[in-house]
Amino acid sequence: MLLIDCPFCGPRNESEFSFGGPALTPRPSDPAAVSDADWVDWLTVPPNPMGLVEERWWHARGCGSWLTICRHTVTHEITEVRLGR
Amino acid sequence: MPYDVTITRLPLRALFDLKGTATALAAWCGTALPPFPDRPNSRMEAAGRGLCWTGPDRWLLMAALAEEATLAKALRSEQAPDDLSVTLVSDTLTFFAVTGPDATEVMAVVTPLDLHPDIFPQDGAAWTEAFGIRSATRRIAAGYEIAVDRSYADWFEESLRRAST
Repeated sequence: MLLIDCPFCGPRNESEFSFGGPALTPRPSDPAAVSDADWVDWLTVPPNPMGLVEERWWHARGCGSWLTICRHTVTHEITEVRLGR
Repeated sequence: MPYDVTITRLPLRALFDLKGTATALAAWCGTALPPFPDRPNSRMEAAGRGLCWTGPDRWLLMAALAEEATLAKALRSEQAPDDLSVTLVSDTLTFFAVTGPDATEVMAVVTPLDLHPDIFPQDGAAWTEAFGIRSATRRIAAGYEIAVDRSYADWFEESLRRAST
């Protein structure tokens, strides 16, 4: 189980949080200017490297904050947690 | 061997969910609120009213049920400005007290919250988990108080009793 160090509450079990998906790059400001392949990539292909990823988590059973965490996909080490994006 | 604890279902109380900055809420609510807590997940009390700081710009106001109408009039939830939310939620939570010499042992079964006094001191109050559901937990003089969504109350009370035997 992950131990997520919420900036407001301190370390809490993963079970208090809901996964909110990958922290994607910003939505293209003009989707019409993006190719279909790039648009599908942005919408549906989450980054999945063997290394650090940024993810959104909602502290649903705690303070209610949305957090962005930086997690290593192999070791699950969390190197950064911040409120919001 | 059963734990030396007493499980008590507590009566309804006046509850208001407050959202907004402390500055904006203090300006809107005036003297109806106790002083604002100065640490996250802590509680301040004054004149029988308790104010818990439960999240960034999130607060939970508690008082005796007899004060509900007075508070509702003072807080004027319908006229609250756009940057505030004041919501009466008295009937949404059921409160239990877990008290006695072994209260901390039982709470260690109930919740994963770190209850060490350095982390969760005497004025500690926080949303967390209890038996896997959302709960508001705080310390009281002889133990702990836990609030869960009212629809879980019967199951939760039974679970507390099982955990304490």
